[in-house]
Order: sequence, then C-alpha cells, then structure tokens
Amino acid sequence: MEMDLQIRTRTQEGIPVIQLSGEVDAYTCSRFRDAMIDAIEQGHPSIVVSMTDVEYIDSSGLGTLVGGLKRSSEKGGRIAVVCNSSQIRKVFEITGLEKVFPLFEDETEAARELAAHGRRRE
Amino acid sequence: MRTDKARDDGRAPYQVEVPEEYVLRDEVRWLQAEDNKLFRFLKEAMNKTEAAYVATYPPSECGIATFTQDLVTAIAKYTPFSRPTVVAVKRREEIEPYGKIVRCQILKDDRQSYIDAARYLNDSTVDIVSIQHEYGIFGGTEGDYILDLIRELKKPAVATLHTVLHSPDPNQKRVLQDLAELCQVIVVMVRTGRQMLIDSYGIEPRKITMIQHGVPNVHRVSTAAVTRALGIADRKVLSTFGLINRGKGIEYAIEAMPRIVAKYPNVLYLVLGETHPGVRAWEGEAYRNELLDMVRRLKLENHVRFNNRFLSLDELVRYLCATDVYVTPYLNKDQIVSGTLAYALGCGKAIVSTPYLYAQEVLGEGRGVLVDFRSPDAVADAVIDLLEDPTKKERMESLAYKYGRRTAWFNVAIDYLDLFHRVLLRTRAEKALRQDEVAAEAKK
Repeated sequence: MEMDLQIRTRTQEGIPVIQLSGEVDAYTCSRFRDAMIDAIEQGHPSIVVSMTDVEYIDSSGLGTLVGGLKRSSEKGGRIAVVCNSSQIRKVFEITGLEKVFPLFEDETEAARELAAHGRRRE
Repeated sequence: MRTDKARDDGRAPYQVEVPEEYVLRDEVRWLQAEDNKLFRFLKEAMNKTEAAYVATYPPSECGIATFTQDLVTAIAKYTPFSRPTVVAVKRREEIEPYGKIVRCQILKDDRQSYIDAARYLNDSTVDIVSIQHEYGIFGGTEGDYILDLIRELKKPAVATLHTVLHSPDPNQKRVLQDLAELCQVIVVMVRTGRQMLIDSYGIEPRKITMIQHGVPNVHRVSTAAVTRALGIADRKVLSTFGLINRGKGIEYAIEAMPRIVAKYPNVLYLVLGETHPGVRAWEGEAYRNELLDMVRRLKLENHVRFNNRFLSLDELVRYLCATDVYVTPYLNKDQIVSGTLAYALGCGKAIVSTPYLYAQEVLGEGRGVLVDFRSPDAVADAVIDLLEDPTKKERMESLAYKYGRRTAWFNVAIDYLDLFHRVLLRTRAEKALRQDEVAAEAKK
C-alpha cells in the first residue's frame, strides 16, 4: 500500500526545495530522509523543506529533520522550513524547534535566505 | 523498527504493526556522541517540560493505565531533554514490577501516601502534574484522597476526566467540583462531557478544555491480507476487544450472530481480551462462562472465538486490521470515553455501536452505525447491511480513518504539551504578579 507522503524535489535560487505533501511520520520518514541525503550528497548542504502541504508531522518526522540538519551542518549548510499551517507551526513552537529550523511562510524567501547564507560563507 | 510485512496478491508490501517513533529522542541521543556542538545547541533551544502523571500504570491492567502509558510515551517523544515522572496508584496487596519511570507510588487506601506523593513532587524538578481521574482508582469516599494530594501540591495540576456521570450522587459531585477548583484545567475527551460539567456540576467553562482520546498511529492496510496472516482467511471478521465485564453487553452481539451466520456462513466474531481484573476478583469468570454457555446453546462454536488474555498494542492493532466490522454493544449510556472505540476509529474500521455518549459523538457524520441498546436484531441488521454494501462500508472506513488521524497519539501529545505550556505560562505570570504586588506593598 502506498504510504501517505509525496515528495518532490526542485531547485530555487540554486537551493534544493524538498516539497512534502501528506503525512510525515514513522511510516513515511525514511523516504524523506533519503531525499535530504540525496540533496546534500549532490553538493547542496543547505535545503528548504516545504511543509505547506503537510497534514501531520510526528516525532519521527522531526527526528528526521534533526538528522538532516546534522549532515547539512557538517558541510556548512542550514535547513529552513516553509509552513503555513497553524498545526504544523505549533509542533515546531511547542518543541522549541522553531529556534533550530528557521520557519518561513514563503518558499522563495526561504531559498533566498539560504542562498545568501551560502554566499556569506564563501 | 519492527515490521510485520505481508503481501496482498503479490503487490506492494506494507506494515501491519505500529512502527516505533522514538526517532527525535534517538537522533538527539546520537548527537551527544557524534556532534556535541549541535547537541548543545538543541539542548539550549528546545523546550523542556517536566511533567508528572498521577494514575494507575502498567503492568497494572486497566484502561487508565494503558491510556497513561500511551500519553506519557507520546509526549516523551517530543521532549528529549525532559524526564517524565509517573506516580503510580496501586493497591497495597499488589506488587507491581514497574519500570523506572515510576518514581513514586501511592497506596490506594493509604491517605498519607497521597500527601507523601505531593511532597515528593514539590521537592522534584517536575513543572506540572497531570492527574488521570476515575473515581475508582483513588481511595477514600468516591476517590476523594486525590484531593489531599492536590491541596498539598505546590505545582500546577491539570486533571483528565475518564468518567463524567450524568446523575452523580452528592459525594461524586463534590469530588469533581473540588477537583475542578483545585486544578488549573480540567480535560474532557468529548464535547458532551464539557457541557455536562457546566450544566450538572456548575464548573466554569474557562476551566474546561477538550482533548480527544489518542489512538495508535496505524496506516490503513488490506483486511484480507491480515486475515491471511492470522490464519483466518476467507472469514468475515467482527470483533470487540477490551477488558471483559458485564457492561460490554457482548451477549447482545452473540445473540445477533445466528442471523448474521445465516446470511454469511463464514462470519467469525472475535471477543478479544481478558476479564477485567476487578471483575475477576469479584465474580471470577462468571460472565465469560455465561457467554461461553450462550455460544454453545446457539451452536456458534465455529463462529465466536474468545482470546482470554491482555493483548499487546501490536496484537490489538493486528486484530483490528483484520476486522471487517467492529462492534461495541456497551450498555452504559453515560459512558463518555472508550479507548477501544477510539482505537477502532484510528484503524479506519466500520463500526456498529450502541449510542452511549462517546459513540454518539465520535460516530456522527457517517463514521459509524448506532443501534439500540440491548437489541440483537439491531446489531444483526446493521452488520448485515454493512457486509452487503462494500461501497458504504468503504466510505465509512475512510471517514473513520480520517477522523482517527487527527486523534493519533502524536497529535494528542502536542495538544497536551500545548496545554501544559499555557498553564505554566499563566502560573508563572500570576506568580510574577503576586511578587510585584508584595514588593509594592513592602515599598509602602
């Protein structure tokens, strides 16, 4: 049975944007992890994760993000999260992870911010 | 992650069991060894909420104990830098081999142990105390010893109500009113419960919050594949699970079986779970034996099967996934929560239930079928109707599953953490205000 998460990766401002749709949980997060690893190993340490179409995220999904951040930061990158839903935003706020992953409402703004961060590092 | 992979007609594999979800805690734990800088950053940034839970707790076998364990586990997954504490309530004669999370014990009928537990919590790093309330689990008159604990407590407390009686006696009413007075917030699991607290108990609406009963995170799977894995392929499966007692009304579902069997000779009704330990102490296996007699009398030996033991979550989920129609023929119309019904919704099952308060609320809008109390004919009609109409059954399952996703434990845990944060913010603000007033008074 197809699990309830769709993943699409595209590029904006030279930054990979991983677009998640559906539920990021214990059943689905391994594919999300693979998508982040692919992007980082292809030479893009900074990633935008778009959760505008994410219905639910559980602790496994958050753990996957933290694991991605470890790989990203080892290469000098950052991970930004785009979300509009109050439910998803609440998960980041309640855990305090909104201080770890900058939250944006707009994907372009998030990509620009990460691209600028990359240029500053160069 | 433990998986139980089965295949449906050679197509994609899928999981029957609930995967473990400790990934956030695990990731953080690994970081401590692998990337201490990031670990320290997370430790600094992430919120810490030290919660204590006062309730019965496994290995005690009761619905509250299971609920508490599910809640504690779900919240702990989001709070890797906090240490949960359970204050377990037990009978003096019980020797429970609790896990280390149980840091303090209350002897149900020993009033002093409630005071001692409050003092333990006062001296601990606990920020907030969550009480799981059910009259019967605490000692005293209608469980009023729990009030002693809260009176002695110097930390904020919230209470989740597992029973709200429609017509309480004066003692029952007093206990709930005092509980509401002493706690910062009262949590109910259905809207009806909230209204009853306002109307019958005079509790202030602002004190009451609704957070639904949690359900395991289960993705929908094919019933046919699971029945094959369980060795009951080609059977239409009905089920009821939980701690068996006379309030379950299982005899009415068994009485419905001859009519269902006449239409579907391959039907199998599974009655899953052991007799409630409290009931067993009172009347032994009398109720179960009556049900077994009924099965023999109605010649249903090939159509009703009992599994007389406490089932693990994995087993429950597996049986639920194998179920075509879940039945709760309960008899108490005032019942405001049912963990088993919540679980069946979470697994996306078609449900036939009597209209007790919880069922009325969660099975509305096409998520289930309500039938009269004590009516085998009504149960039979509803089950046959669903089995005859796969499209209707599928639509009902989809609606139930969608509803259940919002109440998955990972969402319910966020609701509780949100509540804890709000209560702590308010308590701290009130404390600061009091300190300012004292300082202003001193200046005068």
